[in-house]
Amino acid sequence: MNDDPSADVLVIGSGASGAAICKRLSDHGARVVCLEQGDWVDRARLPKAHVDWEVRGRRHWAANPNVRRWPSDYPVGSEGDDPIDIYMYNAVGGSQIGFAGNYWRFAPSDFRVKTLDGVGVDWPLTYEELAPYYTINEAEVGVAGLAGDPCGPERDPLPNPPAPLGRPGELLVEAYEKLGWYWWPTEQSITTQAYRGRPACDNRGWCTFGCPQGSLSTADLAYWPSALKNGVDLRTNARVREITLGPDGRAAGARYYDRNGVIQEARAAVVVVACGGLGTPRLLKMSASPAHPDGMANSSGLVGKNLMVHVQSFAVGLFEEPVDGWRGTWGGTVSTRQFYETDPERGYARGFIMSGCPGWSPLNLALQIAPWGSGHHAAFDERINHEISMYMCGEDLPEESNRVDLDWEHLDGFGLPGLRTHHALNENSRRLGKDMIAHGRQVLEAAGAKSVRDFGLAPIWGWHLLGTARMGDDPQTSVTDAFNRAHDVPNLFIADSSSMPTSGGVNPSSTIQALALRCADHIWDRRRDWSSAE
Amino acid sequence: MAYDRKQAGHKVAQANRPDYRLEVGRAEVPVGEPRVFRVLDAARGATLQAWVATLIPADRGRPDAAALGAAEYIDATVSEVPSLRPALLNALEMVERIARTKSHRTFGDCTPDERERLLREFQRDGDPDAFQMISDFTYEAYYGHPEVLGALEARTGWRGLGPMKGGPMKPFDPSLLARVKSMSPRWRKLSTEREIRA
Repeated sequence: MNDDPSADVLVIGSGASGAAICKRLSDHGARVVCLEQGDWVDRARLPKAHVDWEVRGRRHWAANPNVRRWPSDYPVGSEGDDPIDIYMYNAVGGSQIGFAGNYWRFAPSDFRVKTLDGVGVDWPLTYEELAPYYTINEAEVGVAGLAGDPCGPERDPLPNPPAPLGRPGELLVEAYEKLGWYWWPTEQSITTQAYRGRPACDNRGWCTFGCPQGSLSTADLAYWPSALKNGVDLRTNARVREITLGPDGRAAGARYYDRNGVIQEARAAVVVVACGGLGTPRLLKMSASPAHPDGMANSSGLVGKNLMVHVQSFAVGLFEEPVDGWRGTWGGTVSTRQFYETDPERGYARGFIMSGCPGWSPLNLALQIAPWGSGHHAAFDERINHEISMYMCGEDLPEESNRVDLDWEHLDGFGLPGLRTHHALNENSRRLGKDMIAHGRQVLEAAGAKSVRDFGLAPIWGWHLLGTARMGDDPQTSVTDAFNRAHDVPNLFIADSSSMPTSGGVNPSSTIQALALRCADHIWDRRRDWSSAE
Repeated sequence: MAYDRKQAGHKVAQANRPDYRLEVGRAEVPVGEPRVFRVLDAARGATLQAWVATLIPADRGRPDAAALGAAEYIDATVSEVPSLRPALLNALEMVERIARTKSHRTFGDCTPDERERLLREFQRDGDPDAFQMISDFTYEAYYGHPEVLGALEARTGWRGLGPMKGGPMKPFDPSLLARVKSMSPRWRKLSTEREIRA
């Protein structure tokens, strides 16, 4: 076992949050080591670099690790009444490898769910405290959008203009105008014009299958080049086995298997866990010790609990006219928060967004609607290029019974345990989901759809895995404080999607990265404390 | 990726359930490459070619799935994932048996209508999961093929190769927002100290 030279900060995980923390801390001058269990993705192999991109997205690049089984992956089971179809990547850039780019800020009310609506929990910080970091992050990734949105407090102009609406967006705008509803161009983590050395989006669409030209702001592109230039020591193929403790009870570093499968140890004054909503509780539980018998930083018993995924669905409208659905950003060019804030008359707490997307690409459409045999082509031709999809995302409230546990029956390639997820929608989520789908259908009908189909609420898409090591003021009801510092281990930080106490009703990447930057500044501001404790 | 795999009858991929939907992740088989059969012998290869041509027949200027190498694509997949071979081989055996019993000839010698009828019987009473596997792989081989994607444009306007190239689009017009910009704020202001710092 090598005895590593010490770093100021050890970051475990190089995804959306880990990348942001590494870059921010190294901007300040900190010596940072980052351990990433995966590797860089070969951008020439990204699905969208190939004509058969849809097929590649189902096989080697499948979002479910049980299908993909890269060496960096670990097994994840799905149990419960509403099992989750897991969506995650273990690589530099993390799950943003399969990113749509929707990039919303939370609303101020999202931070005060319990106080305002009597459900869930409040966050230990406010929108106003996070807002400066949203702004910094938006500049880093080059967000596209438009300031002046009446659905949130005033803010500075965004770095890049909104993506083109395309025909689907134009039809939906007409529908919103007819209904008299609020709408706004969707903020997207996409460089719609050349920005900081990255090219302007050229509207190839289907962003989640990879963006070979590099306009989709995944963490491997938006943060890592600068972090590496700053001198961050990124160690790929480094599978962390456990966080280590010093004799003083503080985190000392981490033991990991290197690319040759040989155990190594990295030490630092501060340790940051940024492995995502599944990976973080897995690592904390694998780091159980006599001092932390139920897992590191788990005196609350909440590590792995309160797993949230969002209530999500699609409604799909069939239109007489062709909609040019083959081009334009896929994540939805126009969106509404018409039903985002709680309205007691709707019969449930919290709300949802709707975001209009092109229809479906050929293979996925055929698998959905085209029966095999003599009727195949007629069914397919009726819908290809004549559909518009409405993505809908609503708040999933925290429930302790929704959780992740270690699975010692299914191990990874290093003999470390897999995970089991347990998930069931609660009654509020079911009501919200039903109403959400009804409104999605309503918009499409107002846009002129001659028929509408929808996907219902099952299976549960595990695109956003949140809440499994939540932050809060009370050590008995949360795992970290408002700056992501573990209540139980003073120099251990948990800074990723697991720290979110509630889910909001929007895609979470923007909030995850803003929290990460805020955490990084907090670590830096208190650097004297960490040095003296070393 | 993202919306992928969501379809009727979709099962969540599990670590603890043997399933072609899981096993196939290990088989990276580019669509459209020239191939010969590696696992199937000539007779079984012919049965599979007749099968995939029945699943997606020629129509509207588009070839059938066999003409595009779907059978060889399936063979290449099970070549990379041996655990899928038994299901495929058994399915081919069963369909030939049904054809001989019901139509008194090989599956490949049956008329298109007969083949469709026989496959529906196999799908219902034979091995539905094996049928679904062959069907899914056939759809992959077909809709990932440049010839199909190119043909789609002439018939449907869908530019099958467009996602590879992109192109300019009309920029967003902010004047569209005139009505929305006049709306009163649509977010809840936290008016009391209790709300702001509960």
